[in-house]
Amino acid sequence: MTRVENVKERKPSPLSRFMPDEMAKRDGAGAERTYVGEVVESSTTELIAEARELHGGPSFGEFIRIEADLPVLGIIFNVFTHSIEPNRRPTAYGKTEEELRLEQPQIFELLRTEFQALIIGYLDGGAPVQILPPQPARIHSFVHLCTDEEVRAFTGNDDYLRRILNTSKVPTDELLIAVLRHTLRAHKHSRDYLVRMGKELSRLMGDDYDRLSSVIRRVAN
Amino acid sequence: MAKSKGDGATAKTRGEAIGVITKGSLVEGLEMKLDSAQNVEDMKAGKFVVIEGDKNDFFSMVTDMRLDAKNQEVLLHPPGREDDILRKVLAGTSTYNIVSLRPMLMMPKGAVDDDGPRPVKAIPSHFSEVQEAMEHDVAKIFGKEGDPEGRYFSIGNPLDMDTQVCLDMIRFAERSNGIFGKTGTGKSFLTRLALCGLIHYDKAVNLIFDMHNEYGFKAMKENGSSSTFVKGLKQLFGERVAIFSLDPQSTRARGVQADHEVYISYDQITVEDIAPLQDELRLNPTAVESAYLVYAIYKERWLRTLLALEGPDVEEFAREIGAHAGSLVALHRKLKRLENFPFMVSKVTDGDVVDRIMEYLDKGINVVLEFGQQTSMLCYLLVANIIARRIHEMYVKKSERFYATQRTEDQPRQLMITIEEAHKFLNPTAAKQTIFGTIAREMRKYYVSLLVVDQRPSSIDDEVLSQIGTRITALLNDEKDIQAVLTGVSGTEGLRSVLASLDSKQQALILGHAVPMPVVVKTRDYDTQFYKDMGCLDDLPEAERKAKIDKGTVALYGDN
Repeated sequence: MTRVENVKERKPSPLSRFMPDEMAKRDGAGAERTYVGEVVESSTTELIAEARELHGGPSFGEFIRIEADLPVLGIIFNVFTHSIEPNRRPTAYGKTEEELRLEQPQIFELLRTEFQALIIGYLDGGAPVQILPPQPARIHSFVHLCTDEEVRAFTGNDDYLRRILNTSKVPTDELLIAVLRHTLRAHKHSRDYLVRMGKELSRLMGDDYDRLSSVIRRVAN
Repeated sequence: MAKSKGDGATAKTRGEAIGVITKGSLVEGLEMKLDSAQNVEDMKAGKFVVIEGDKNDFFSMVTDMRLDAKNQEVLLHPPGREDDILRKVLAGTSTYNIVSLRPMLMMPKGAVDDDGPRPVKAIPSHFSEVQEAMEHDVAKIFGKEGDPEGRYFSIGNPLDMDTQVCLDMIRFAERSNGIFGKTGTGKSFLTRLALCGLIHYDKAVNLIFDMHNEYGFKAMKENGSSSTFVKGLKQLFGERVAIFSLDPQSTRARGVQADHEVYISYDQITVEDIAPLQDELRLNPTAVESAYLVYAIYKERWLRTLLALEGPDVEEFAREIGAHAGSLVALHRKLKRLENFPFMVSKVTDGDVVDRIMEYLDKGINVVLEFGQQTSMLCYLLVANIIARRIHEMYVKKSERFYATQRTEDQPRQLMITIEEAHKFLNPTAAKQTIFGTIAREMRKYYVSLLVVDQRPSSIDDEVLSQIGTRITALLNDEKDIQAVLTGVSGTEGLRSVLASLDSKQQALILGHAVPMPVVVKTRDYDTQFYKDMGCLDDLPEAERKAKIDKGTVALYGDN
């Protein structure tokens, strides 16, 4: 999220047509271009999508929705940028990104931002279901960021916390904190909501009081 | 967690859910996990709650509460003061509150009125919801004042509730009762309340030995630094209360003319009346035997004869009657104290005071015997004993006659004798000698019961205590006293904490015969509203007042 804002703030430059914002403006078809990525690898429990723009992936812990008959919901647990060519690593140039864009715009075309999402549920006729979807998201389907309303609807109860805690792929506490900070914003920073989620976490984490207090403290800050 | 509010049928007017039952037993009581939204500080010992089981409602009392934590880590590193969110998160999850409840009564769900509460023989299942009791629950159990029989007398409100707790006055009158509490906790007020109930609903006629002149006419209300005066029984009930006074001057000084002045002649004192005074007079056991020797010869004139002797003559007198000289001299010396009492006369002029009292009691007029300035324990013991013993004899005779004839008009009125500092009469030694021991133990069948007012129940004989029907107890701290009050009541484990944590004013635990279950009450205010409820005449318009007095007079004395 923050990265996207940074990109937008940049001044137009001669080669700005290579830049994602300008492209979006030029196309003028905003509605189609609201997606943030496209699914390139998909399974029942998680998926990988390529961001529409370089460095333009969703933020860690954000909620996404993948377009389908039964839209799949996920949360971002990993965002990474790498070279298109598996064998070729970008080399250090000793210049700022600004200078590089002026001098060697092509190198940015050789980079891709991708993100991984943890599947946490789906929408059945618009109603959130906190169960893994019957079918994984299809390759090439578009990934959208969830609106605040969607986040609110999905996180009205606390079942998603258990799904997050049960993944072994990522630093779960960090993910948990990121997710909670997003949901909390969607819930208008309601303290009651945080307390409610905290109580559920307290149950889930069992005896691990240190962990609980660290999570709660960092979410609340 | 308790979320649901019950389904339609059961969700009638009940208070909010305050927790769920998690464990417990019939013998040891139940434990409730307090809902995390509730503040543990609202759960006061003695609070009245309802556990909604599947088939029964269990009426229970809060007896204890405990702070608990799921793991030690939380307790070792408690959240800081500013960590408000974490505290809230932990409340009800890692740290939680357990409230101990004691089920007192159960009532089948949807029971109709006559299928009233019963003793608890079952316990509710896991996770039964606990709710605050509502007015209709309380009314179902304790009845409501103003029933046609005049059975229920409101004595106060349950803790934190605005509804009545009623004593069943019929049951209250038929057994001996106790009012206990440390000094300054409102025993006198409780007693006055109970007496008002008895008199107002006419369930028993009262004979009150009023040691501190608190019941008859005006009494001081201790009110911090300032003191105000409240109405006494005479002011509230007019003709239905007669004041007898041992010290007419003092009574007059307080602004009321005694209906009768009490004088006691030496001939009215028997050896049995002296025996209970052993402690007060510091008599040794042989003294009583010597007294019996004198009595054997001079009969009822024994005391007069003995006191007429002068010091040196006593030894000779002892030799004459074959008593031990030293012992008789001691007895003589000590009984001389009786001569100092102004109410002791050699001959009573206007009839026997006990006959007069009996006459009043027969008419249903309550008698308050004031001691005025004669507040010594010796005096109180002596007079109370003499009078109660004679009254007792008369009541036994009356009852026997009733049993013989079985005519309703011969049935004696239920009499309740109020005694203060009861442990002086009813301590293990005295209880065997004073007439009050007998009354407490066996007089129920003779229509006499006691209202025992005392601050030291542990000094009262166990046998007597166990016969006490209803106990109204203000704050007690001494472990022995608490133990004593709870003697002879089953299922009292939880009540100890309740008893020790009562407020020192206007709070009392009531348990026993006259209430279906033990309950803590904030006692009724003794104020103008109460006077009105008791039908006090003073504040009525003149005409109405006169009509009422006339009506009362006719009821008492007949048409002419």
